[in-house]
Amino acid sequence: MLEMGKSDAPEPKPQAAVLRLEGICKSFGPVRALEDVTFDVLSGRVHGLVGENGAGKSTLVQIITGLVQPDSGRVLLAGRPVRFRTPIEARAAGVAAVYQDPKLFPHLSVAENIALGAYPTSPIGAVNRKQMHATARKLLQQLGSEIDTRALVAGLSFAEHQFIEIARALSADVRVLILDEPTSALTPAEAERLFRVVRTLRERGTAVVLITHRLEEIAAVCDDITVLRDRRHVATKPAAEVDRASLVQMMVGRPLETLFARRKAPTLGEDMLRVENLSLAGVFADVSFSVRAGEIVGMGGLVGAGRSEIAQTVFGVTPPDSGRVILHGREVRPRSPQQMLALGLAYLPENRDHDGLIMPETITHNITLPIVRTLARWSFIDRARERRLAEDAATTYRVLTPSVAQIVSSLSGGNRQKVAFAKWLATNPAALILDEPTHGIDIGSKAQVHEMIAQLAGQGLAVLLISSDLPELLAMSDRILVIAEGALVGEFSHDDATQEKVMMAAAQQGARARQ
Amino acid sequence: MSVPDESAAADQTGSRRVMEFVLRLREAGVLAFLALLGALFATLTSTFLTTQNLTTVASSAAILAIAACAQGVVLLTRNLDVSVGSMMGFAAYLTADYAARHPDIAPWELVLIPLAIGVALGLVNGLLVAYGKVPALIATLGTMSLYRGLTYVYAHGQEVTSSRLPPWMLTSVDARVAGVPVLVVAAAAIVLVVWLFLQYYPLGRRIYAVGSNPLASFYFGLRWERVVLLAYMLCGLLCGAAGLLYAARVGTVTVVLASGWEMSSLAAAVIGGVSVSGGTGSVIGAALGAVVLATIDNGLVLLAVPEFWRMFIQGVAIVAAVAADAVIASGIGASLRTRGAK
Repeated sequence: MLEMGKSDAPEPKPQAAVLRLEGICKSFGPVRALEDVTFDVLSGRVHGLVGENGAGKSTLVQIITGLVQPDSGRVLLAGRPVRFRTPIEARAAGVAAVYQDPKLFPHLSVAENIALGAYPTSPIGAVNRKQMHATARKLLQQLGSEIDTRALVAGLSFAEHQFIEIARALSADVRVLILDEPTSALTPAEAERLFRVVRTLRERGTAVVLITHRLEEIAAVCDDITVLRDRRHVATKPAAEVDRASLVQMMVGRPLETLFARRKAPTLGEDMLRVENLSLAGVFADVSFSVRAGEIVGMGGLVGAGRSEIAQTVFGVTPPDSGRVILHGREVRPRSPQQMLALGLAYLPENRDHDGLIMPETITHNITLPIVRTLARWSFIDRARERRLAEDAATTYRVLTPSVAQIVSSLSGGNRQKVAFAKWLATNPAALILDEPTHGIDIGSKAQVHEMIAQLAGQGLAVLLISSDLPELLAMSDRILVIAEGALVGEFSHDDATQEKVMMAAAQQGARARQ
Repeated sequence: MSVPDESAAADQTGSRRVMEFVLRLREAGVLAFLALLGALFATLTSTFLTTQNLTTVASSAAILAIAACAQGVVLLTRNLDVSVGSMMGFAAYLTADYAARHPDIAPWELVLIPLAIGVALGLVNGLLVAYGKVPALIATLGTMSLYRGLTYVYAHGQEVTSSRLPPWMLTSVDARVAGVPVLVVAAAAIVLVVWLFLQYYPLGRRIYAVGSNPLASFYFGLRWERVVLLAYMLCGLLCGAAGLLYAARVGTVTVVLASGWEMSSLAAAVIGGVSVSGGTGSVIGAALGAVVLATIDNGLVLLAVPEFWRMFIQGVAIVAAVAADAVIASGIGASLRTRGAK
């Protein structure tokens, strides 16, 4: 299938748009995911698709492969409008995607994972296992992989998973292959092997759409580049016309929103939270930083760089393998969130609905949950006091609700976030870690959350702010730390930091050899 | 490749081998346990290892094996069905009643009735779980009462006595094929056919795939709903067959026929190595689990152990099997969480 020979094959027309996206719009409930995205993907070329986290790349892939349907707009394959109902249909038409984290069936064999959905069958309709294994072996060999096709997927390495997914995509006669951050878990040698396959496919006339955060990869393999920003299409250009600086500029170049009111020069106290050489095998290594009282330290980086994992380790969710955590001048061994809360550290998780709040409970019960013990008298909870406390907190954090007896799931995203704030701040922490506190909430609430963060720091709280929203990070932080591939790769002062600098640091490759 | 890379790779193959061994040898484990159990009872009693007693064990295991197979199909999709006993009872009662009213009905016509009823009841379960998105336990707990209730309403408290059933129905299950009770032959054939379907047909493989990783099946484009619906319908079909055989075996069909079988079918499937978290195990294992339960029952009767101890020992076997399954499942979960799980 992948032979290099192209002697008698009709020469692929290099300028034919094999895939065209036309005015694609998509919303998930009130959240806009894509707005009027239009661009062409040419056959026989590698098309880089870049953009910040949340720019809409993943949704676009899901629309192309039929996982989600667009609200409006068309997908055209070789000039004909198509609307795939499932990825199986898309694969049959020659459009296949490989996702960032491989999604395989652990209890099935390697060959079955590749063949599923398109089994070779015998005359009586049974699976022809011999042929299935032979095909799988051939596909894997083309990728330079020698995985035993009879092995079960459970227990294979991440790189092996990735190659199995790619082999599966190739098993259809693929015209458009979409690779979503295919190298994020590969060693440089494995990545090079993958790119050799990509180049072979290109020569065969396949269009390869490569989603990546690594600017080196774009320079190395891409022929065209499309930039998405804030759910909109910014530009599609030949790679030769775009240099690295202008690419970064296009990715981040929105005007700094005026919403970020910079607070007055902060008065900083002593170190409240100090982390030294913190490591967790395979996730992050040798991370050191400190946050002083009254300081907001931003933590930037790409999704999956290990920021949340670092925060969760400091908070005791997953205790570290080595390193020290010093809280308020005292060395502590993070073992559990309860322990860290009691010691004066609070953590607002990224997925607030899932990890941070108890959705079917009232505002009151959510706010007082971490401190419910202190409200007890003779081991019975003082309900009146609980309610007073919740009402005070709801006023302080401006939760818009008729009553604190309201169920949390009925509130808007912004109001839920305020309840989450109130909940953790009820514990009177000395240091606070916020993980994407404004993710998925509307502009108005966002500004209120920012104001709240500034106010808390003004009261002397040490704040570590994890955010993928670069303008927010730049505006809010007194210092910015950049995490890439589980390592601290950069630190900028407020005045020194620019979007470009932070983005460059975050996107650098091979910051640390992967374990 | 550098040195640490190689040692990591070696480590990887080590854990891979253990995982494969455990996953592939589930049925062998059940067989070994069965052999151990047999050896134990054979040494403790003189009557266990006689042809007559072993035939009794096989006969009493036969119908449960079909029910366990039915339960197993649903478990493979990461769901469960606690209406198994009610579906058997419903199918058995209606079929017996029909046969009593139409004594001249041809055997093959009669056989179609419980099968059709089973498929219909399974369809309702499947629609609730797959398309209604009702958690499997709750949905089938509801239909368990519903189907049993309908049986009561239909029966008006009457039972169908053996004297009203066509004689061929009662005699055919006592027949023997080469000395083996026909009931055992039928059960073995049914289990084998279902096994072949699940093992070798694309649709059967999808049942495994959906249970193995529902998220992956979504991204892959498998129609999760259809596969789960199919599994419930297959479960209903098998329950219909089991209900008919049970009615023929006991002769007198009451409204409480096969009450409690939801639990014993679940127990048999789990003891037989079908994972409650889906994707692994086989219906042959589930059938072997039924044989284990029947053997324990038989052995304890021979040893004159009181009834309540039999319940206790069965419970221990179930808890042990579930615990072993949980350990294996967490191992698989860990192998998928190689990096940066969010």
